[in-house]
Amino acid sequence: NNSSQLSSLPLQILLYVNGIYYIFYFLATLAMMIYKSQVFSYPDDLLAPDLAVLFLMAILEVPRSYLGFKGNLTEAEAPLGLSLGLTVGSVVLCVYLLLWQTYVLWADVLLNAVLLSAYGLESGLKVTAIAAFVS
Amino acid sequence: AGLCVCDLLVAQCDVNCCCDRDCSAEDFSLFTTCSVPVVTGDSQLCSQKAAVYSLDVEANPPERIFKLIDQVNPSIFCIHATNYEQALSLKSPEIPTPENFDQLLDKFGGATFSAEPESWNLDTDAENPPDANETSRYEFGVPVQTEDAFLRLPSPVVSSWCSDANPAGFLVNQATKCIRSVSVEKCDSIQALSMLFYINSSILAVKSVFQVNISVQSIVVQSLNGMRTLLSSTDVLRLPVVLDGLCINAVLGVNYHITHTDTGEIIEAAAAFVLGAISKETLSIEQSFEISFTQENTEPVPLSGNPGYVVGLPVRAGFQPQGYPFPAAFFFAALALSSNKHSQLTILHSTSTQDCLAAQGARAPVLFGYNMISGCKLRITAATECQPLAQTLLDVLKGQSFPEYVASFGNSQAQDVLDWVPITQLLISEQMISHTLQSSCQIPVSLGIEVKWTKYGSLVNPQARIVNVTATITSTTLKQLPSGRERIIPITSSVVFTDISSPAEPSYKAWPTIDIKLPFDFFYPFV
Repeated sequence: NNSSQLSSLPLQILLYVNGIYYIFYFLATLAMMIYKSQVFSYPDDLLAPDLAVLFLMAILEVPRSYLGFKGNLTEAEAPLGLSLGLTVGSVVLCVYLLLWQTYVLWADVLLNAVLLSAYGLESGLKVTAIAAFVS
Repeated sequence: AGLCVCDLLVAQCDVNCCCDRDCSAEDFSLFTTCSVPVVTGDSQLCSQKAAVYSLDVEANPPERIFKLIDQVNPSIFCIHATNYEQALSLKSPEIPTPENFDQLLDKFGGATFSAEPESWNLDTDAENPPDANETSRYEFGVPVQTEDAFLRLPSPVVSSWCSDANPAGFLVNQATKCIRSVSVEKCDSIQALSMLFYINSSILAVKSVFQVNISVQSIVVQSLNGMRTLLSSTDVLRLPVVLDGLCINAVLGVNYHITHTDTGEIIEAAAAFVLGAISKETLSIEQSFEISFTQENTEPVPLSGNPGYVVGLPVRAGFQPQGYPFPAAFFFAALALSSNKHSQLTILHSTSTQDCLAAQGARAPVLFGYNMISGCKLRITAATECQPLAQTLLDVLKGQSFPEYVASFGNSQAQDVLDWVPITQLLISEQMISHTLQSSCQIPVSLGIEVKWTKYGSLVNPQARIVNVTATITSTTLKQLPSGRERIIPITSSVVFTDISSPAEPSYKAWPTIDIKLPFDFFYPFV
């Protein structure tokens, strides 16, 4: 039944890899925030927003990833569309961590850049998948 | 500009400081080397500009070379960017202005400052009420407060002259003697000679709450030749007056007795005075002051050591109260202790007259560790009767109340009956080999008290403990003298302290045991 398979294999692979990478990203960023708070002068009223953004992104990641998997496998465009919307939110938070954090280390730049590119590629693949499901 | 660390002098050129902007080209030509070769910002940044200074000594005159390079931090944790201006510099302190002065004073004006001043204030407010009660009680050593200042106990400070500024400490028993300069003309103007000076201000019972008046306990008047008389009435306050060229009622000594509760409150204060007379020739008198503290409802019994006896302190003794004849009841009876030192263990005190019958009052307390011997001479005539003489000599030797028990430790309490050692009394009669075998009465001629003590406790801090006390009375027969003749017999009494400590026993730790057990299934296939 391969001719009528609409689920996108690259999207599935990317979603899976992104999930694993996100876990690594979350732990690394949290560890670096702890390191920054010990080594640099990091007042509490600047540390709180940064930590809040990181945890918010983690909370968004779970439904975003789940909806992406479900939508792609069931070839339904609604969950995939919702996942796309959540991806936009995650992208915004990622940009915050890249540009407007109190201290942006070189490692921060690398991690966030990789995540941002993964999100970008994922969004493109989701759009084509939705187009394929709708038509 | 602020990054040049060798630029210390303001508007002046620092020597060998190549980054100092106050230096001109002529100054640079005098330098020998650059003390600070590289000036950068924070080295944690990923890439930054660095100024490199070096001195070209070959040129004539030497000149400074300045290069601006890009320094790169290769670490992956270098700071790429910061969104926080004060991140990498020290925070400059707030300059006080009329607007923020009050807030800064609140924050930094106290003895301590913390990050959260509000929470600090709340804690101290909550703690204040119980603290106020705690500090109002007297503690050991705290000066006893009176209405105006402190209870004064005049004492010699640097020289022997009296200083009135010595406060009496609570529970600190003190006795001081000092010299005060006096004259008969200024008899009633010198305050320290008047009784009123010492009992005028009342003592505060609990540090500024109640007041306790100092009552006059007793007044002893001492005459010029040293004889003291106890006055019967203490109601009248006797102030110094000039009478017949003498200043009478001058205070020669004060003895304060303060009674306190066990919670640190003073409930009673009494003063016993010794008043004397000052003659015209006297330029200075010696005043003696003493203060003692007693807890209410207790009898003060001074300890002779804690726990072992201290050499030089009196051996404590006591009596078993009457009415407890049965041994079973013995364990519940407490010994009657007396704080009167004359019913302690005492021996005869030799006097200058050396006459036994005249010296019946003088006794000396037995001090632990001090062997003593004393005696007197007894004159016997033909007319002396034996029986009364024997009784008199027994009184002379043993004193009015010879105790029955001696404390084995210096701090033995009267209710611990087992801590007390009974005095064994031995009677030895010297049978003089006489021509006649008639039974004649014996008179005691010597009393020997032997106190056996041992070292008790640990080897590094042994405590003296009395184990055995034996009082031996040696008596001899009184030979009848022919009339007209008289004889002098020496009577002696002695105290000997003998150390019967057994040698120290070493104690070793137990040998370590080897605890081997075979595993449960060692012989598995067979057992």
